[in-house]
Amino acid sequence: MSASQKLGSVKRDWRQRDVKVVLSALIIAVATVAIIALFASQLQRTLITSASSFLAADRQLEAEHGKPIPAEWREEARNRGLQTARMVEFSTMLSGGERFQLVSIKAVSDEYPLRGKIEFQQDADSDRQLLGQGPRPGEAWLNPRLVRLLEIDVGDTVEVGNLELTVSGLLVREPDGGFNLGGLAPRVMMHADDVDATGVIQEGSRVEYVNLFAGEEAALDGFYQWLQPRLEPSHEWESIRDGEALSESLQRAERFLLLGGSIAVLLASVAVAVASRQFAVGQRDTVALLKTLGLSSRRIGHMYLVRLSVWGLAGMAGGLLVALPVYGFLNNLMARVLEQEIPFTVDLPSLMPALATAVVSLFAFAYPPIRRLRHVPAMRVLRSQPGEADSRAWSDIAIAVVAIFGLVWLYAREVMLVVALIGGLVALLGTLALLGWLLLLALRRVTGGGNAWRLALVGLYRHRRASLSQIAVFAMTLMLASTLILVRSSLLADWQAQLPEQTPNHFLINIAPSTVDEVDAFWREQGQGLDTLYPMVRGRLTEINGQPVRQVVSKDDSVNALNRELNLTWMESLPEDNRIVAGDWFGSDQTEGVSVEAELAAELGVDVGDVLGFTIGSETIAEPITSIRTVQWESMKPNFYMAFPPGGALEGLPATWITSFYLPEDRKDALNEFTREFPTVSLLEVDHIIERIQAIVGQVTQAIEAILALILAASLVVMAAVVSATLQDRQREGALLRTLGGRQSLLVNSTMLEFGLAGLLAGILGVLAAESAVWALQYRMFGGEFRWHWQVALPIPLISGFVLALLGRWQLRPVLQVSPMLLLRRLE
Amino acid sequence: MTDLSSGPRQTSEAILTVTDLTQRVDLGRDTLTILQGVSLEIKRGESVAIVGRSGSGKTTLLGLLAGLDTPTEGEVVLEGKAISRLSEDERAALRARRVGFVFQSFQLLPALTALENVMLPLELADFPDPQARARELLGRVGLGDRLTHTPRQLSGGEQQRVAIARAFACEPVILFADEPTGNLDNQTGQEIQELLMALNREQGTTLVMVTHDETLAARCQRRLTIEAGHLEAAREETA
Repeated sequence: MSASQKLGSVKRDWRQRDVKVVLSALIIAVATVAIIALFASQLQRTLITSASSFLAADRQLEAEHGKPIPAEWREEARNRGLQTARMVEFSTMLSGGERFQLVSIKAVSDEYPLRGKIEFQQDADSDRQLLGQGPRPGEAWLNPRLVRLLEIDVGDTVEVGNLELTVSGLLVREPDGGFNLGGLAPRVMMHADDVDATGVIQEGSRVEYVNLFAGEEAALDGFYQWLQPRLEPSHEWESIRDGEALSESLQRAERFLLLGGSIAVLLASVAVAVASRQFAVGQRDTVALLKTLGLSSRRIGHMYLVRLSVWGLAGMAGGLLVALPVYGFLNNLMARVLEQEIPFTVDLPSLMPALATAVVSLFAFAYPPIRRLRHVPAMRVLRSQPGEADSRAWSDIAIAVVAIFGLVWLYAREVMLVVALIGGLVALLGTLALLGWLLLLALRRVTGGGNAWRLALVGLYRHRRASLSQIAVFAMTLMLASTLILVRSSLLADWQAQLPEQTPNHFLINIAPSTVDEVDAFWREQGQGLDTLYPMVRGRLTEINGQPVRQVVSKDDSVNALNRELNLTWMESLPEDNRIVAGDWFGSDQTEGVSVEAELAAELGVDVGDVLGFTIGSETIAEPITSIRTVQWESMKPNFYMAFPPGGALEGLPATWITSFYLPEDRKDALNEFTREFPTVSLLEVDHIIERIQAIVGQVTQAIEAILALILAASLVVMAAVVSATLQDRQREGALLRTLGGRQSLLVNSTMLEFGLAGLLAGILGVLAAESAVWALQYRMFGGEFRWHWQVALPIPLISGFVLALLGRWQLRPVLQVSPMLLLRRLE
Repeated sequence: MTDLSSGPRQTSEAILTVTDLTQRVDLGRDTLTILQGVSLEIKRGESVAIVGRSGSGKTTLLGLLAGLDTPTEGEVVLEGKAISRLSEDERAALRARRVGFVFQSFQLLPALTALENVMLPLELADFPDPQARARELLGRVGLGDRLTHTPRQLSGGEQQRVAIARAFACEPVILFADEPTGNLDNQTGQEIQELLMALNREQGTTLVMVTHDETLAARCQRRLTIEAGHLEAAREETA
């Protein structure tokens, strides 16, 4: 066949209905996957940037005990194309006006912050501004509460050690709020170059040097590779993913996006599969004709390969033409919601799954049946023999499963996700086959009649092949959409539970044992009850079963808890949100033992019965593990890796007490009175941090809703495509029924019932399959507990039945409007 | 309902009366007249062939006679009912009980077996035990052993037999056939002819048939010729 002939046959293809359906499916597939992949990767970048502002950088390097971080390290980072900044944090007395106050100083270099903005006020009455740079040398910005505490104004001077600084503004909020429970007096920000001149920092002072880094992920990783062998135990390398409060939310959001994308890939394959299968089966007569005309089977195969390739390319081009504007629109929308600039970036890796999905599904579903037709004698093709089965259907299914599995794997690279989704689909199809068989047995004896119910049931039975495959596609579509709906609802519920209204937003630390009662009384008088007070003893984990911990745990770098002093506590009862996963909580008279947080226990490789040795000051203690418990790190309450029983090993060791409480914004003045009355108690204000976490969770939620909306739209398109695949047959049937004397209302009711029943059945199966997929996903990917989601699951079958009934009604339109005579002739 | 039985052209034997039937199709700027002022009368039990060249309006006329479409002007009275004044559902009910159809392209539903195809009109008309009746009819047309075969597994002649069985299933008073042998070879066409005529006789059905087939037309009692939308009155003849 010459090139022009091939072109001619491709041109003719455009006019065929089946081909149009295949092309539309391809375009929808490419567009959906591309939009979701592009949007998800953009969202991920935006969220990470937004969350990175929590560190004011992409990575932080902290040195805890008074030794500055070598300047060469920053030099190396800059050589690798990273931005750097440095800061020094320490506590000291500050004098201003007539008063002295213990403050926590953060001295920053010009580059600070690398991510996020500083919220600043010129004075108490002016508007808040967002600044990308800290104070200049010779200046200081003070926390507004500190200014009131000292009874000074902006423009006055304050003294830090030997240095006099001018108060040039108010520090409302710094991007890196600081979760560290170190020195926590009111914040003062000054320039890093002024630190030496204060003379405050001496050998052995409690000071923390921090370096900030930002830049490309690859460069950051490369730098860390270089840095790792040079790090000492006092150094701590932190990324946003290590930040306790946000990291889990972010990881879950990322996984949600991944799940959404995988589901888009599956939906797209289903759409292309249905369409191309339909096309391939419809090619019987054409193949027979070509063979009759004397074409060799090799040339027939070749011809179809060329055609499929041309459509594949056309589908890709069309899909991208649809996807890019939609993505641009979503981008704008997101930029408006998040109130930040979002560049329009199209990264090629995000487009790959879309293109691969279209082409692989097209060939995997369209080619095998056509290939098989080549070997069937022409006569057999034209007139099939009774009882002749599609003997190779199983190999088709195998090819399809492998292809789809490969596609989702290509996209997600997460075994559990792929297994859960595909396993859910296979289970669904198995159940459907069984159910279909049972239904056939049950419906065989029903005969139709003037009754719409009977006609609908007979319709389901008589079109069993079409009905079952349509129900299968609907059920798969619904399963995928429901999975996303279910995961979304449990994610949102988890997030809301994590930071409810009145989450404690202030911590009191370093409460001396002698003042515990007074502190408690103070807040009770203010009408703000304190949460549980916990004693806190700082100590290091040094031995496991008598062996030095550094020998036992070889990958000690990854166990952060070993790099720093731990806060040890004793408690009588298990905190409400902790759960025992092994062993038992302390009995009422028990004084032995220690309860260890589950993740740390796993990292250390210890279990109930192992003996842990701690060094506390000059003392050492050793206790067997009696229980392992999970902790809600995101709860913003005091949480402890190690808990001892009251009267246990910690008894008699120097302890201070810690607690948290909720204070509304308008009661913040009480803090001044408190600091004056209890100058030695450190106060940590985390209200701004909580606000920001809530804001970010809000953003993530909106992003998730957007992805969900896209997926739901795609599902609807797939279902409409499936219905339209049999449109012509249905219309012909409708016309014939009318010719044979079926009333319009009978036709309408029975069709709506038939479709509605199919939809209901598909909905029930889909939701059940989705629940099982979610059950599998929940453990591995989202770490939550599995619950049945009746309130979400119940409406889905009803809605699907309703939507399908409407689709059925919609496809009948021409049958009702046009005279049956005309329609029959038109459809001939 | 308007009582038309007292109309001047109504005889006790007329089953179908057509008065001044005109059908036009609106083509946007132009209107195409397909039928113009056709009047005719068909008596109960009669067999009538409508002949004419392709595009002369035969099939349109058949559709109008059967109430599958409504005329632009004029009136069709079937069994005393002016069908153009009936609602769509009333027409459907009339078709279900009183009218049968055979089409050139068979119009069987591909997903249904032969048996199910024949059961369809019986079910729609709420016939008692449609399956037994359908079996009986398929046996009568010689397909008693092909009940579970789908149209794809049947030859053209066999498909038309199924269609004929379906057409006679509800014992219609009038049967409309549109080129029933048009898609079949001579030999098979001949067999279908025989079958159609035989069943017609057995059931005493009125037969109205559009055909090109001279031998088939010749077997009808009367022949009406249509040319360019007009009934050639001169050539209305009785065989």
